[in-house]
Amino acid sequence: MNIPRRLGWIPAGIALAILIWFTFSQWGANRPIGASTGIAYMGAWFFGLTDTEYFKQIQKSGSWEVIFLIGVLLGGAFTSIFITKTFKFRILPPLWKKHKNSSVASRLFWSFIGGFMVVFGARLAGGCTSGHFLSGASQTAVSGLIFGGVAIVVLIVTGRLFYKNLKDS
Amino acid sequence: MNFNIFEFFSQTIDLVQKQNHGSIPLILFIGFVFGVIIQWSRVDTFDKIAGFAMLKGFKVPKMLFFSIGIASIGLYFMIKMGWASYHIKPIMLGGLILGGVIFAIGMAILGLCPGTGPVAVSEGNIDVLVGLIAGIFAGALFTYFYGDLQSIMGPDYGKLTLTQLIDADWFIFLYGAALIAIGFLLPNREIEEEVGEV
Repeated sequence: MNIPRRLGWIPAGIALAILIWFTFSQWGANRPIGASTGIAYMGAWFFGLTDTEYFKQIQKSGSWEVIFLIGVLLGGAFTSIFITKTFKFRILPPLWKKHKNSSVASRLFWSFIGGFMVVFGARLAGGCTSGHFLSGASQTAVSGLIFGGVAIVVLIVTGRLFYKNLKDS
Repeated sequence: MNFNIFEFFSQTIDLVQKQNHGSIPLILFIGFVFGVIIQWSRVDTFDKIAGFAMLKGFKVPKMLFFSIGIASIGLYFMIKMGWASYHIKPIMLGGLILGGVIFAIGMAILGLCPGTGPVAVSEGNIDVLVGLIAGIFAGALFTYFYGDLQSIMGPDYGKLTLTQLIDADWFIFLYGAALIAIGFLLPNREIEEEVGEV
């Protein structure tokens, strides 16, 4: 059998929509897909903050998302090893080298800053790409649409300001 | 601090089993399929996500808009049939805007978000693992300062959907079709033209 090595945006988009339907349905999990609460849950747990107001608020969603994310890790590893054959330990993405720099220290420093901002921002907003955009906008939720609108504009502005040599040659 | 991973998992599994949102194998399955779709389409790469921030590759927004467009129409009728229910997040305006800004700056720099990040880690990206660890710190810090942060997250305008505002079946077709159209109308440019196969 010939399995395609990459999935285009149309089949991948359809597959993702089916997964959203299944997750929402009563035969699935009867809840939306989300990821950032799971990461906040891990942080609160590892740092001994389980006796806080916020942890008590997120412990149900957070624990569900931790199990979900373990599935994600397994699915990603499986696919990278057997289908796309892209599994490889590496630090510098090709596009970073082309439009930022070739320094491992710089990439790791900015990854830390970026990762911190991504989760802190998602928790302030109450969701991330999965919770607000995939799940929220699929329900026509106004909160998800506001988040999506703000995020897309700021993403592109940051792209302009943070990276260099962006003019097409 | 408590890094007892066995205690962590036994408590987490216990919490999940007490709620009515699927068994552990089912949730693992949902996550597994998500990981497969994201990895197979390669939208778990810095190149694809930061590439969109640089407007040099459009696979991520095409796939997202297209997927949400299809999902929205199906979900609307699933909810009408009683097969699923709404799970709406409130409009906490301050949090949405401030959080959206901080989130998106971070996403442009890290090149990943909380759902795609773990996929990138699973295929061996050490830089994203550092970002994920930073995210765990951020989660702890947010939990610690939640009391003080609440004041800037409001005002809360409640849980609202567009289908509540425009209560007619045709609207969801318009909404879904518009999102699907955005998916098709965004440029076909792929980041591979810039960096080769990813």
